[in-house]
Amino acid sequence: METQIWAIIVVIISGLIGGFGPVFFKLAADSINLRNLSSIYRNRPLILGVIISGVSIILFTAALTAGELSVLYPLVGIAYVWVCIYSVFLLKEKMTFFKWLGIFIIITGISLIGLGA
Amino acid sequence: MKVKPWAIGIMLLCTLLTSSAQLLLKSGALKLEFNILSVLSNWNIFLGIGLYGLGAVLVIFALRGGEVTVLYPIVTSSYIWVALGSSYFFGENVNSLRWIGILLVVVGILVITIGGNAVAEDSAKVI
Repeated sequence: METQIWAIIVVIISGLIGGFGPVFFKLAADSINLRNLSSIYRNRPLILGVIISGVSIILFTAALTAGELSVLYPLVGIAYVWVCIYSVFLLKEKMTFFKWLGIFIIITGISLIGLGA
Repeated sequence: MKVKPWAIGIMLLCTLLTSSAQLLLKSGALKLEFNILSVLSNWNIFLGIGLYGLGAVLVIFALRGGEVTVLYPIVTSSYIWVALGSSYFFGENVNSLRWIGILLVVVGILVITIGGNAVAEDSAKVI
């Protein structure tokens, strides 16, 4: 199957946007107070996180059916880089050598899985 | 923020749940026929959706115990679970290139959770 160009674009864009999902989930997680139920159902970061993650998963899934996994999986892997970058700027987390190394190894692994599919 | 081991454990559990959900949805979709009775009795799909929801809830709680940059990459273990599950339940053949990739994913997760977590925050270098 030849990879449709729209599938590549969708994977890249949903990676860039979907990367904010975990960031919002972290903000939500830290602001939840189990004694106050409204801190759960009125939690704006939580709602945003659900919407962003939900939409990006649906887009990813659709795009993966329209292209070769050997081409698309590496792009899916790169999405994890955006999550890390967003976390550094929005959550003040720190990226270290080992974290980058681990991400790089994982992306290589995901790419090989795509090649082997 | 140092990542607590229980948070890592919950992330692994979440990933196992969502991977199982994927496999259930896949097997449910294979059995699906377009009539009401088939849809309503397709417990694979309902169970799959339920597990996805449960996994999503657990992720939130896991994130209370650590940072995104260490915990989030753990979801890549889904490639491991899905490969094992596909091979066992669907009889799919997983070739050696895929196994090497899976091995690298394992190594990458270990590097992040051990190496990425071991460094105390004040001495962590921002790269």
